[in-house]
Amino acid sequence: MAYFSLVVLIPAAALVTHAFAHGFGSWWSSLTQRESLSALRLTIACAAGAALVNTVAGTATAWILVRDRFAGQSILNALIDLPFALPTVVAGVTFYTLYGPHSPLHVNVTGTWVGITVAITFVTLPFNVRAVQPLLESRTFHAEAAAATLGASSWRVFRTITLPVLAPAILTGTGLAFARALGEYGSVVFISNNLPYRTQVASSYVYSLATSGQVDAAAAVSTGLLILALAVLASVNLVSRRVARSQ
Amino acid sequence: MSIVLNNITKHYGADLVLDDVSDEIPSGSLTALLGPSGSGKSTLLRIIAGLEPHDGGQVHLHGRDVTTVAARQRNIGFCFQDYAPFNQMSVFDNVAYGLKVRRVPAAQRRREVDDLLGLVRLSEFSDRYPRQLSGGQRQRMALARALAIKPDVLLLDEPFAALDAQVGAEMRVWVKSLQRELGITTILVTHNQSEAMEVADRLVILHRGRIEQVGPPEQVYDKPATDFVHGFLGPLTTWMGTSYRPHDLQLCDDGDGLSARVVDVVRLGFEVRVVVEREGATTWVQLTHHEARQFNPVVGSLVSISAR
Amino acid sequence: MRGRSWLLRTAVLAYVGALIALPLYFVFQRMLAHGFGAFARALGDHEMDSALWLTVRVALLAVPLNVIFGVGVSLWIVRHPSSLSRLIDTLVDLPLAVSPIVIGLSLELAYAQNGWLGRPLASWGLHLMFNYWAIVMASIYVSIPLVSRQVIPLLREVGTHQEQTAQTLGAGSVRIFFTVTMRSLTWATAYGVTLTLARVIGEYGAVLIVSGNVAYVTETLTLNIGNNFDNFSPDQGFVGAGLLALSSIFVLLVLGLARHRERLRHEYRP
Repeated sequence: MAYFSLVVLIPAAALVTHAFAHGFGSWWSSLTQRESLSALRLTIACAAGAALVNTVAGTATAWILVRDRFAGQSILNALIDLPFALPTVVAGVTFYTLYGPHSPLHVNVTGTWVGITVAITFVTLPFNVRAVQPLLESRTFHAEAAAATLGASSWRVFRTITLPVLAPAILTGTGLAFARALGEYGSVVFISNNLPYRTQVASSYVYSLATSGQVDAAAAVSTGLLILALAVLASVNLVSRRVARSQ
Repeated sequence: MSIVLNNITKHYGADLVLDDVSDEIPSGSLTALLGPSGSGKSTLLRIIAGLEPHDGGQVHLHGRDVTTVAARQRNIGFCFQDYAPFNQMSVFDNVAYGLKVRRVPAAQRRREVDDLLGLVRLSEFSDRYPRQLSGGQRQRMALARALAIKPDVLLLDEPFAALDAQVGAEMRVWVKSLQRELGITTILVTHNQSEAMEVADRLVILHRGRIEQVGPPEQVYDKPATDFVHGFLGPLTTWMGTSYRPHDLQLCDDGDGLSARVVDVVRLGFEVRVVVEREGATTWVQLTHHEARQFNPVVGSLVSISAR
Repeated sequence: MRGRSWLLRTAVLAYVGALIALPLYFVFQRMLAHGFGAFARALGDHEMDSALWLTVRVALLAVPLNVIFGVGVSLWIVRHPSSLSRLIDTLVDLPLAVSPIVIGLSLELAYAQNGWLGRPLASWGLHLMFNYWAIVMASIYVSIPLVSRQVIPLLREVGTHQEQTAQTLGAGSVRIFFTVTMRSLTWATAYGVTLTLARVIGEYGAVLIVSGNVAYVTETLTLNIGNNFDNFSPDQGFVGAGLLALSSIFVLLVLGLARHRERLRHEYRP
């Protein structure tokens, strides 16, 4: 089993080798091409925007799924998993048609950062909800009840009791969502219209490099994306552990 | 089926968990491995079972050296503290598991399992699942499951620790009589000295990986071999510079003993503790209900203390 | 949380409704936009049917392989802790955070004709890129964490006492694995299998790179949908999209059921 797992590592090794095939300088210049930087900037900005919105929305959704009681609650719970289960390309073409040139809602956000952000928001909502939900189900209930008996208002209970316990999980959920969003392809490539320097996301850029024969450059930008995603995950891990420890 | 342990040694990393432990456990006895947490008793039990490797020494079951024999071939019954029920199987299938492994034909299997369930009084629960049983019921199921394979030895790891007081008390009586009836060599691990003394014929007291004393309960209690055993097995108090068991001190008529001032009287239902003070030192004396009524100690008054 | 709860509830429902329910409804609306007759005809489109069949064939191999590997790796990671297994544990989670394009690219670099493994494999007559095997491989890579993330926490929680008890009762390793270990993992594995299935039939970016996207040969259903849109046949594309959306709903139902059963498992009911 140990050896079998190592086989998993080989493509990663191939990627890294090709990325640095012409040395560190060449790797860096591939990463910092104007087109690359603009793609990275756009991707990071949209991912961050979506992550922020979903941090609030995800926690709120988890709250009403656990603490509230209403008809259709189980449907809502199942619906949250839809972005997990739905193929990205289906989401992609649907968003393009729904919010694009022939939109029945008469909106057109294709070729804009708004469109991209909406698509990313769709894809990443489950991460935020599912990160927080289990904690609300088990860990915070008694403490909240105790605080309520001491006279605290619901908002105060939420702010001072619930939120601190949820904080590490919220961070983790947001971090996972953000890392996922950095590499998102199928759901954003259609609505983005893929205009270089304007609305091309990072993964699209890598794809265009790969299919035009510039595999080393593609590998270079890929490793850059990888490092970024790993850095996000590692720091989220670190911060959430520190937050959890300080309680 | 006697068990002989020769110089068992075990390291866990840099720690010495068992240090040259040797003992001979007589066939048909109920031995308690008693000691505080970290004394190595559970580890020793698992080594006897073959569930954990050890670094030095041998284990003999009825004259046969089983040191290199795998757990599945030692024919021992083992019960974990959490009873380890097979949650996805019914009570019946749990108990039948070992018989199925031994390819006992279905009809005979059913008979034996039904007998066992009757023995442990779980017959009506045969088709239930472990999650539907209480703690005491799960324990009885675990016992039945272990006994199904007709083991030569029965090993119980903290069997009563997870039960509440009432159920635990009932189970102790029941396990003791069951063991007497079946005559199977049994070792039980516990950190609770009163439990060990109540149930076992023989105590092996472990401390920091070493055997401190071995013997029947009364002997170990009355004639402790080391200070550790003395303090571990029962309460100790100091009177006039000597260690006593609180029930070895008594209140007496004035003139027959030394006087002390009563500081507190604690009534625990069946026993009464009188805490006294003399020359700055505190001592407590344990009285029976009857004695307490007779002397009626009052906080602040003077009483006379002597050793029985 | 009495007075304001309806406000929060409405806000969340509106948000989820607009973000998730609306597009879902829209897919089906578009799928049947030209009537049921047109939909039935579109179902018979040769290229889409060929793509659908390829997707099914990929799933038939990739899903079982992924489950076997996922359970195996999880058992190894939990039961044999070491620095290597901790490393593999982190690496196994990686596909969740990595772009499928990057995964596809790294697979291509490794297994293409002139790649690290591709070259020696080609000399033995084995080609693992731009064909069915490449798609299966890519599907497994992106799904690896889906099984292990379900199984590993459960293995840790269940612990080894049941297995050790089975040992003392005389059972051998194989019997213990199937009668004790796997029995406690059933719902977690079912959950992982379902997620894997969803991921395998829905993978786009990685398959786009490693398959070569050749119609009737290496075009999966997801690629087919994308191609239809790129070639200005959105109606045909929505038929395929609708089919996949239907399968997603089926997946959601199974997931909901598995989660419900898992919750029951934890309850003590005398």
